[in-house]
Order: sequence, then C-alpha cells, then structure tokens
Amino acid sequence: MPTCTDPASPMNAAGYASRRVTKPPNWHELVAFDMLFNNMTTGLFVVAAAGDLVSRPAFGPLTRLAYPMALLFLTIDLACLVLDLGHRFRFHHMLRVFKPSSPMSLGTWCLTAYSIPLGLLSTIEVLEMAGIREIPAWMRLASITTGIPFAMGAAMYKGVLFSTTSQPGWKDSRWLGGYLTNSAIAIGCAELLAIADLAGQGPVRAIRTSLLALLAINLGFLATLIVELRPAIRTLKGGHRLDLMLTLGAALGVWVPAILILVSGTMPTIASAIIDGIGMVLVLAGNFLVRRSIVMLPHHENDDGIVARWDGGS
Amino acid sequence: MNARELEISAIPEPAETPSGPVATILGPFLPVVRPEPRTPTGFYTDTTVCIGCKACEVACKQWNQLPSDGLNWSGDSYDNTQALSATSWRHVKFIEQFASAGADAPSRWLMMSDVCKHCSAAPCQHACPTGAIIYNEFSNVYIQPDICNGCAYCIAACPFGVITRSDLDGHAHKCTLCYDRQRDGLIPACAKACPTASIQFGPIDELRDRAHRRIEELNSRGTPSAYLYGEAPTATYSELHSFYLLVDRPSTYGLPESPFNPWLRMRGDYLRSLLGGLAAIVAMILVWTLRMP
Amino acid sequence: MPGLGASFGRGAATNSQQDFINSDCILIMGSNMAEAHPVGFRWPMRAKARGATLIHVDPRYSRTSAHCDLFVGIRTGSDIAFLGGLIHYVLKHERWFQEYVLAYTNASVLIEEGYEDTEDLDGLFSGFKPEARAYDASEGHWGYEGSPSDRPDDAEETGEAAGRGGQGIHGYGLMGGATSHGQPRSVMTDAPAGEPPRDPTLKHPRCVMQILRRHFARYTPEVVAAVCGCTVEEFTRVAESLCENSGRDRTSMIVYAVGWTQHTTGVQMIRAASILQLLLGNIGRPGGGIMAMRGHSSIQGSSDVPTLYDLLPGYLPQPAADPGHDTLDDYVQHEGLPTGYWVNLRKFVVSLLKAYYGDAAQPENDFRYDWLPRIDGDYSQLLTFERMSRGEMTGYFVLGQNPAGGGPNAGLHRAGLRQLDWLVVVDWFPTETATFWKNDPDAPPPDQIKTEVFLIPAASSSEKEGTLTNTQRLLQWHSKALDPPGDCRSDAWFVYNLGKRLRALYSGSTALKDQPLLNLTWDYDHERPHRLPDGSFSRIAGEPDVDRILQEINGRKLDEIDPRTGRPRLLSGFSELKDDGSTDSGCWLYGGVYPDPEHNRAADRKVDEGPGLQPDWGFAWPHNRRIMYNRASADPEGRPWSERKKLIWWDEAQRRWVGDDEPDFEPEKPPGYRPAPDARGMDAIAGDEPFIMKPDGIAWLFAAGAIKDGPLPAHYEPVESPVGNLIYPRMTHSPTVRTLRGPLNPLAESPSPEFPVVAFTFRLTEHYLSGPMSRFNGWLNELQPEMFVELSPELAEERRIQHGGWLTVRSPRGRIEARAMVTRRIRPLIVEGRTIHQIGLPFHWSYAGASVGGNANDLTSVLADPNVSMHEAKAFTCQVEPGRLAGPVARPTVVPTAWPDTRPIPETPRASQPEGKFVRSEPPR
Repeated sequence: MPTCTDPASPMNAAGYASRRVTKPPNWHELVAFDMLFNNMTTGLFVVAAAGDLVSRPAFGPLTRLAYPMALLFLTIDLACLVLDLGHRFRFHHMLRVFKPSSPMSLGTWCLTAYSIPLGLLSTIEVLEMAGIREIPAWMRLASITTGIPFAMGAAMYKGVLFSTTSQPGWKDSRWLGGYLTNSAIAIGCAELLAIADLAGQGPVRAIRTSLLALLAINLGFLATLIVELRPAIRTLKGGHRLDLMLTLGAALGVWVPAILILVSGTMPTIASAIIDGIGMVLVLAGNFLVRRSIVMLPHHENDDGIVARWDGGS
Repeated sequence: MNARELEISAIPEPAETPSGPVATILGPFLPVVRPEPRTPTGFYTDTTVCIGCKACEVACKQWNQLPSDGLNWSGDSYDNTQALSATSWRHVKFIEQFASAGADAPSRWLMMSDVCKHCSAAPCQHACPTGAIIYNEFSNVYIQPDICNGCAYCIAACPFGVITRSDLDGHAHKCTLCYDRQRDGLIPACAKACPTASIQFGPIDELRDRAHRRIEELNSRGTPSAYLYGEAPTATYSELHSFYLLVDRPSTYGLPESPFNPWLRMRGDYLRSLLGGLAAIVAMILVWTLRMP
Repeated sequence: MPGLGASFGRGAATNSQQDFINSDCILIMGSNMAEAHPVGFRWPMRAKARGATLIHVDPRYSRTSAHCDLFVGIRTGSDIAFLGGLIHYVLKHERWFQEYVLAYTNASVLIEEGYEDTEDLDGLFSGFKPEARAYDASEGHWGYEGSPSDRPDDAEETGEAAGRGGQGIHGYGLMGGATSHGQPRSVMTDAPAGEPPRDPTLKHPRCVMQILRRHFARYTPEVVAAVCGCTVEEFTRVAESLCENSGRDRTSMIVYAVGWTQHTTGVQMIRAASILQLLLGNIGRPGGGIMAMRGHSSIQGSSDVPTLYDLLPGYLPQPAADPGHDTLDDYVQHEGLPTGYWVNLRKFVVSLLKAYYGDAAQPENDFRYDWLPRIDGDYSQLLTFERMSRGEMTGYFVLGQNPAGGGPNAGLHRAGLRQLDWLVVVDWFPTETATFWKNDPDAPPPDQIKTEVFLIPAASSSEKEGTLTNTQRLLQWHSKALDPPGDCRSDAWFVYNLGKRLRALYSGSTALKDQPLLNLTWDYDHERPHRLPDGSFSRIAGEPDVDRILQEINGRKLDEIDPRTGRPRLLSGFSELKDDGSTDSGCWLYGGVYPDPEHNRAADRKVDEGPGLQPDWGFAWPHNRRIMYNRASADPEGRPWSERKKLIWWDEAQRRWVGDDEPDFEPEKPPGYRPAPDARGMDAIAGDEPFIMKPDGIAWLFAAGAIKDGPLPAHYEPVESPVGNLIYPRMTHSPTVRTLRGPLNPLAESPSPEFPVVAFTFRLTEHYLSGPMSRFNGWLNELQPEMFVELSPELAEERRIQHGGWLTVRSPRGRIEARAMVTRRIRPLIVEGRTIHQIGLPFHWSYAGASVGGNANDLTSVLADPNVSMHEAKAFTCQVEPGRLAGPVARPTVVPTAWPDTRPIPETPRASQPEGKFVRSEPPR
C-alpha cells in the first residue's frame, strides 16, 4: 500500500526529496556480533599482550587462558563474517587483493595477519600447559610484537569501515572508530579481569582499577559518538527507540559495571569474582546493544514517510 | 547526424586465456594483460526531453537479462520501479508538480531516467575489498560479478543508492554501461532505445560540450532553472561520468544536494581510531605500573 | 479516414513524421503521442528544440502534455466545438491565407440553391430523412451549382437509393469518403461546363466561404469555453499560436489519433481540422498538414490492402448488390470520377482482377468482375459481433486481434463468442479471446459454453518477414531473424495454407460459387529453399514467399518477360497500369514499391543528414511522395511561398517540377496549364490545382456529398453525456448515429443523473492495446502492474476514495474495480455552470495473462458512426464508488517466467552461477 503525505496527490512538488537516497547494506545482527567479537578478541589479546610485556611473571598465568580464548573469539568472529557474506567461499575472496583504500580489505588482512601470531601464541600456551617447555622465548616475543599492531589494526578498521560510508549516522560519526577501538581495550580488560578472577591469580586489583579508568575514558568516547549520531537518529521513524537503546547500552556497558567493580573491590575474593563476572557480562551486553543500534541504524526508515524500501532483497 | 547514434569502433578481443589444471589453480596469481585505456565514455541524461516511456528500463533488462521485480503498484505517479537495484539498472522517476487550485497555476510533470553515476572517483570502487569493482578501459565503474563476494560494502558506500545485492546470486550488481556492447562497438542498450535522445552516450568530453550548449540554449529560451548536475567536480565529490541536466533541485529528483565522498575522511577516522586505542592502552599501562608492586 | 479523404482526396496522413521537425507549431489533439507513439514523438521533440511551439488539447494531462508549451484541458467529445471556435477565430479576425484559400480550396465555389445549414435548421442539414436517420445529400442540395445533382432532370433515377440496403454498404471508396446518396459518385460536383460557377470575391451568399462564415458564427470563444470547460484565455492562446505560425513563412501541423476517431463525430472532427488547416494554408507544405497517428503497427497497411469489409485493395469500393454495380462498366460509371486521377479507376480494377484471377480474367468475361463478392449490409466488426451475440453466426477467425478484451463493450463481444460453434484464434499467447470459455470471471461455467476454440500459435515479428505500413504511408520491410519455435507459424503461412486446403477441398467443383476460389492465383511457394540470415535453411515447410506477394502487389507487365527472372517484368509505378488486362497489380496504390527484382524499395535504409524527408528510407505511397499535395507548397505560379518553406517548385528551364520531394502532380504540367472545357481525366486538372485525387483538383472546405453526416462539421454531444448540446440545443447527439441499443448494449439517456461522471479510455506506453502482447511479459508488467483509474482529488474527496485504495466504476454495460490514482493531472471542469468530473481509464487490462485486472472496455458501448461504423470508447458516462467489487475476480492465468532458471548458465564461471531463490510469487490480491 503506497504511503503519501498529501492524500490528494501521490507525489507532491518535492518529488523524491522525502526519500532517503542511499540504500542500507545487507548487514544485520551477525554484523553486530562480529563487531562485538572482533573487539572481544582483539581487546583481550592486546591487553594480555601488554600485560605480558609489562610483567610476564604477573600476567603469565593469565595469558595461558587469554590467548586461546582470544583465538576462540576470533574464530567466532570469522564465523560471523563468513556467515554474513552468505556463502562459505566468500571471505577468502577478499585475500586475492590487498587494497589499502578499502577498510574492509585492510581489516581482512589485519584479521588474517593477526590470526597467525595469535594462533602461534595459543599453540605455545597449549604446549606449555601440556608440559612442553623448550619453546624459545624469542618466538613468544616475536609473536606478541607482531600480533599487537595487527590486532590493533583489526580493532581499528571496523569503525572506520562504518564511518567511511554514505549511510545516515555512520557517515557523521567521526569518533566511531575511536570509540570501538577504545571499547575493545575496555572489553579486553574486563575479560582479563574475569580470567584473573577465574584463575585466582595475577594482579587482579591493578586490572580492576585499570578497568575503572578504561570505562571512564570509554564513557567519554561513547558520549561523543551519541552526540554525533543524534541528528541522524532524530530523522528516523522509531529514532527514540534507538536513542534509548544507546543510552541503555551506555548504562549497561559502562555505568553499572563501573559501580559493580567499585563495589567488588571491597568484597571477599569469591564474591568479588562473581560481581566482576557479572560486570564483564554487562560490559559485553551493553557494548552489544550499542553495536546493534549502530548496525541497524540505516535499516530504519525516514520519519517523513517513505520507507527505505530496498532491504537488499532479503 | 544524431551523436546519440555514435558507434565506437570495435576492438579486438584479448588473446585466448590459458586453460588447463595449472592455469586454473595459478590463474588468479598469473599476471594479466590489462586492456589499453580507451576514450572515457559516459551518459548525459537530458531530463527535459525524457518522455517517461521507460524504454531504457526494458532495453536494459532485456539486454542484461535481468529478472522482473514482480507486480507492485506503487501509486507514486507512474513510478512502479521505485528504486535502482541489482535487478533494475535504470529507473525512470516521475515528479508531479501541480498546484492544488486555480487553473492558471504553473504545472509540471518532471521525468528522469536514473542510472549509476559512474563517478570518476567512485566510493564503491574504493570500498570494494575484492577488487571486483574496477574502472574499465572506458573509465566506467564496472562490477566483475564473478569476483564480487557480496560483502555489501559498496552498497553502504554509494552516496546515490545505486547498488544492491541480488538475492538470486548473492552478488552486487549495477549498470555496467553495457561494457559488453561497448567492447563490440555498440552503444549501451538504454541509449540505443531512448526515442528522444534524453539518454545520450559518447565520449565524456563531447557529452559535456553538448550539455553546455543545451544549457545555453535552454537558459536563453526561457528555462533559466536548467543546470548540469555532476558534470564538474565539487569540493567534496568528483565529476560523474553519468551526469544530468535538471530543472529543479537535485533532491526533487532523489539526488543528494551535495554528494560527499566518504573517503575524504578516512585518514582522519583511522587516526581517531588509533587515538581511541592508544588512549586506552596508555591509561591501562599507567594504572598497572602505578598499582603493581 | 474519410475525413481527410473527403477534404483532400486521400484518406491518410498528409505528411511524414520526420517532417514534424520543419514545423513551427504543432497542435496535438485527440492524441497522446508521447505515450502511444513514443518513437515518433522524437520528431516533435526535435521541432521543439528548434523553437517550435507544442500545444496539447486533451481531457487529461498526460506524458504528452508534460512536453508541450501549452496544455488546455477540455471535456472529452467537445473537440468540434474547440476546432469550430478556431475556425471562427481565423475567419473573424481575417487570419486566413487568402491567396492559398482562393486558389487551392473550394471557398469560392457556389453551392446549390436549396442547401440549408445547421444555422437554418437548428442543428440539422437539409436532406435529413428521420425514418432512416440518414441524409440524402442529393435531396439536401449539398452539390455544386450546376452539377447533375442541381439539375434533377439530368440526374439518374435513383428511387429510394439513399436508404436502400441501409447504412454501412457504401464504404469510403476512392478515399473520398462514403457517398451520402445513391447516385453516381460524380453527381455532386461534375460540372458539365468544366469549372463550376465561382465567385472569386467570396461575397456571394451561396459561395462556400459565406456558408462557412455563417456556419461557424456560433462558435465564439465564450461558447467554446462554456462547452469545452476551458477558459477563453487558453483558447485564445491556442488560436493565436496557430495563426502566428501559419502563412507564407511559417507552417503549423495538427496531430490526431484515436482520441478523435473513437467518437460518433470523429470523422467530422477530422473534417474540422482539415478546414482549419486549409484556411491557414498548411496543407501540402513542409511542417504543415494533418498527421493521423495510427493505433497499431501496419493499421495503415490494413486499410490500404484492406481487412475492411467494404473496400478492395487501393480504396476501390467493394461492389454492392445494387443495380449500379452490376457489370464492370456500371461499376466504373457509378464509382469513377470523370475528372482527376480517379479517371483511372478501370485500370486499377482490371489490374486487381488480373492479380486475383490470373488467366481466368479476360476482357471477354469482364475480367471476372462478376466473381467479386457483393456486399449487402454492414459487416464491420462491431455489427458483426452484434449479430454474433444474437446467435446469427457459427464460426469466426481471429488473427492479431483480441475482441474479448479490447472490443468496445467487451462483454457483448464475449457473449457473441459464446454463441459460436467454433472459433479459431491465431496468437502468441492464450489471450482473452482464446480463453473466454474458462477464464472470464463473468461467464457461465465452461461446460455450459458450446464454442469449440482452436488456438493456433503464431510467429512473432522477428520470426517472419514482410512489410509494415505505418502512420505516414511508409512501407518498411522487416527481415526474418530466425525460425519461430515449435508449431508457431506466421500469419501468412496460416492464411496461405488454409487457402491451399480449401482449394483442395473444392477441387473439381463446377459450381459457379466455387470458381472464384478455384481460380484464385494462389502460388507463392519459395522457388528455392528459404535461407535464414545465418545461412542455414529454414525448417518451416510451406511458408509463402512474401517477396513474391509484394511483387504481385507492386504490379507486373504480363506481356513482357524479365529475362533475369523468367517472370513478367515488374512495373515501375502505377502510371504504367493498363485497363486491357496486360498488367496486374494487387494494390495499385503500392505501385513502385518493387520496381525491379533486385530492388525492394520498402527495404531501403539510407539515412539522410539533416532535417530532410528521408526519401530513401522505406517507400511511401503514393510513389514515394512524402508530403502529399505538395504542389500546394508553391504558389499558383509555381514559386515557393517562401524560401523558408520551399519544397517543390516549377523550374522553367527544365520545364518540370523540381525540389526535395517527389512531386504529387504531373511532373511536366506547367502552372499556367488550363484545361479545355470538355477535358476529362487528368487533363481536366489545371496547373494550379494541387489536389489531383479530387474531381475538381482543389481541396474541399465544403464536402459536397462525400460525408454521410453533413458537408460541414457541427458539434454534437457524445451519445452518453452529462450535458445537453449548448450549440444546437435541439440536437443532443449526432442525428445519424446508429445506437445498436439492446439488452447487451444498454445506453444511458443523455443527460443522465444516474451516470454523472464522464469517462474516457487512454493508453499507457508500458502496455500494448488490450495487452495480449504485453501482459504476458514480466518486464512490461512490472512497469504498470495493475489496472488503475485516474481521477481528480475533488472527485476522490466527494466519493471518499483514498489514493491507492480501490474503487468501482459502473456504466450501463458493466462494472469493474481498479486502484485509485488520485492526481491533479485530472481537473474537474465547469460546464453549463456546474462541475463535471472526468475520469481516465487505461484500457490495457482484462482476465488473461500474468497481470490481470478490470477491463475498461467492459464499460464502453457499441455504437456506430454513419461513415465508418466507429464506436465511442473515448466518451461515455459512468458512476464511481469506493471499494472493491463483490463476486469473482480474475486471477492471473500464467505464472510469470522465473529467471534465471535453475539450470546452470552455460560458459559462465561457477562464482557467477545463480545460487539463490528462484521462485517468485505474485503479490496476494
């Protein structure tokens, strides 16, 4: 059923002006999960690797779990990407060229490059767990130092990919990349905290404090992002719901965990571990809400009538 | 002679592509011979002579064997195509401008055949991670469907909303500017079918000259509102190899008032992205070093 | 097109579409050219680019209006009022082209004493016979003074000739319009003393000019505005544009199509345009003339080599079962004209009979003239179906037509088909006509329909060769690209083989009635196996050689053998035809299309640079003249009227007519030639008389006896109209219309309060006619997927109809549902001080195909105008209501073809193969 603002005339003098020109890409929930898992793996790796570099003795027990977990998250992330492309043969097609102009190409290469040292490190950790100890230290060091830039690249590209488009909201969010990379570290830190709690080892208090600092910084980035997105959101039908989701994301992903972690510092070990765990889950949930809101933004129709009809044929 | 009927002389096909098991495996890594660059070609669409017959749409679908999009009556004037897509590479738009009362009020029914703009610096081409989107030897933006992996980044990148992904084959499609026909020395199907030379095809410089002459003519004959859209670069966007002669605001025709190439901001966005990460890492390490024994 | 024929001598568009470009002003009226003839519309667009003014006068703002400088919305069916107003304006303000009108029209001719005009009889002409609802022009004294009609003693005793056999028998032979009297054709004009009496001062009260002035005195701008529903200012702008752009230096063109012809007054609308163009001096000149845009490809061809019941090829009248047509001599005497080019009538008939019957046609047996069927009634399509609906027919062939969907009052047509025993449909798709017995939602169940239907698959245009004759009399050859698939065959194959089988069935019969069939020349087999363009042999057996048919149509010298072919030599033109049986010609008018076995001029494809007439693209009848009557492009002395508008002129040095077009005149007749008083034939045409098909060589402002509903156009309302006749209050609609009222064809009394809304049908670019070629095609269906009705916001508000919602339209004949397209392109009109609403219905939908919907022609009526038995689909009345119809609704009869199909695409890499969903379902209705 056609919709029109002037019931007397199907097309008013403004013609197509009320319609959105751009078409939304076929990116849905899977991409929101991809964004989250991208941040979960890269953040965890970077935080763990930083710890490894800062103090191997302190963080060593944590990296044993952290690297394989980062590898698991990467696998899930890649699965999301491949599934989103619709066909299992498609992801590796992107590796036939290296194209720095395309954030997606750069990101694909970064993810791929990052997977190698990460895989190596995870293997080393697993081998060491299995009792094989004679792996030379330079291998670990080399893997960490090569892994960090690629992991950073993999974390950084996602936001740039979204902001380097013509989609409403995305194209105006100059700090989307900054926010995502920043929250990757925060997420990684939260994950490491949970691992530390789980392992009952490592500099738990230091990590907890750093997470508080990271959440505070992250709030700044998120606030900037929301300010950037708001004009576009205001033009959307159901924009207030998106706004609410973002606020909820900020609350769930930053405010509540921050309070919980403040509280957990004063608790006994078991209780604090549980509260830390809840905090981490909330960080993830909040971040997912924010990411989902961002991914789905172009799929919302304009408030003034005409549907962005084309949904990529899906 | 009507320049719309200009035919580009045929060029020889490249040598046989090697075949066999080795070539199949190594094919993508073997050096390829790129075709010699040719005179850049494009479309000039004079909307003032478009009669809305949609012959371009049918000619395009027939030549390119695109499927029908089903029977959906829109009620938006005679526009039942609604949008450019992977299965509609031409879209004729209808804008009814009629005053609500009074027989003497000026009235207009604008028509325009929309198509891929074939930007000389195309966001979709920048975006494409597989190298499927190329500038071919005619400087047209061309999606190689067998290379495209359906990532949809080009869809997000295009400021004109030209591209979508086909649910029939999962690849992104759009106007090829009849690359196959051009290679065989024929003009694109839509330009061939257009009865009133609203769609004109030819070397882009020649089209610009023709368009400028037409603008002068229209301006001197009582249509001062006529202007060209996309024929020259702006501060934020390159020139289009498919440009338009319009008589109303671009947005009336569903075109962005001032298109912006997102790639102008990519470097800054990377820097800010890095900043976000570094800020976190520095803060974190600072806390650790302060809080750890 | 008797309107043009009666005025100028030939019933066809005077100029060519390429000639639009030379025009300074183009009035499009009764035509939606941009939508119905989009390819031809390039030429008006190029004229506009060169500075011409485009005007559209139409009930509806269409895609044509969008490109015109001026649009005037009028009430449908009020065209004669508008055109009469223009004529009034031209005469009142003395804007007519004096020299042209005096020399080239019958403005100065005196009309018989006793002629009475609509002014005198309040809407009727003299000679009206109320019991027959017909005129007798002879009794009405419509003839020239001094003609045999004026001297009752000299006239043939005709008795009740005018009424005998009823209307519809005497067709519009000789392209001069149907005669409105029972006497020999020449009776109204044949002046025994050469020229009829004239008054060059145009002062005589009985001269044509004075009659014109009196006749159109009522058509003032105010009256025009009141009748048409436009404003005086709009009308005056149109009149001024035409006047400013006509004369020595400038020319204007008028374009019409079925928006004029599909009225009960259509012929007179065209007559009104002819009078206007003659007064403005626009006929026979570049950029002038009247363009009749024909509705189908080759519909011009099907009147030239006619599918019409009352004509033989080349506009020779079909002999009637009248004493006047008993023998060949009677026929020629009765139908021929002693002066002008039609003096050759006998040559044309004899050559046609030779083409029909070959060696059986000999001088001693009158060339078997007696074998020609005689007509004794109106066998036009509408009347045939009317008879069919009364059960008076048993079988019917339908080729390239869809009466069940596209016939006016299509319900009556379907009721007729249900009465048949058998029906043969030759078409590409199972059309409405082929599936009326199972898919018509209004019909009884199939087991209650007795008709046996045979659907014969037809070849498409690219699967057969032949010519198309388009709107500008242009024959264009199209080649066959490939064989048709499966059992599909060309229409020529079907007719040729049907003829062969019939001849085999009757072979050996000695019955007289079978002799025409058995002696018909029916030998068009390919002499050598037919090759396709790719060099392979056609697999179709029995396909006739269309080349040979065209050669037969062109004409041959039977007594001369061409050594190259071993067959009779081809004629170079119709001037070589003889009446002694030594030539044959299937249609004299096409003579010259195939002058040489090596040269088929219809296949010529030379493109001229510049705004020329493209004389080497195809072949235009007559004799490749692109602008007919082009002698009128020069002044009486043979000099071009102006440098800007020169076309042909007399070259004194060469002693012949020269210029850019083939002269439509004897090429060596000097402008100063004057005929002797007793001259006959072409000798009777003076050197300054351009209209050689007319017996007096001049164009007829006043049509003396050639039109059945009056010598001058008068405004009558459509048969169904919500208003009375404001110009002649006593005559609401045309007195000579046959209404064919019946249980299947009820009509709304005019003016009718039950059906207050005026409706007209129109055409969209996206579909073709009733849709048999387009509604089976997904690419076209998606562009206009559903039946809709265009109505104004005011009417929508009054009837509480939502844009995009459903509405029901009801007429006395039927009711349909459609989507509401509420648009300001349709405006209510103020007529007689009250608001008249109009709605427009595209006539493309019905119940067969992939896209189905309400059929506008279920609402239209069967009526027959007196000249060509034309209906009135462009004006009828109805009622409009919101909501859908109750009861059964048509469902698509074919599933749209899925694309691409699930088989792999050959020679395509795996990555490009389809991998998605394939099934596309129709949207729920």
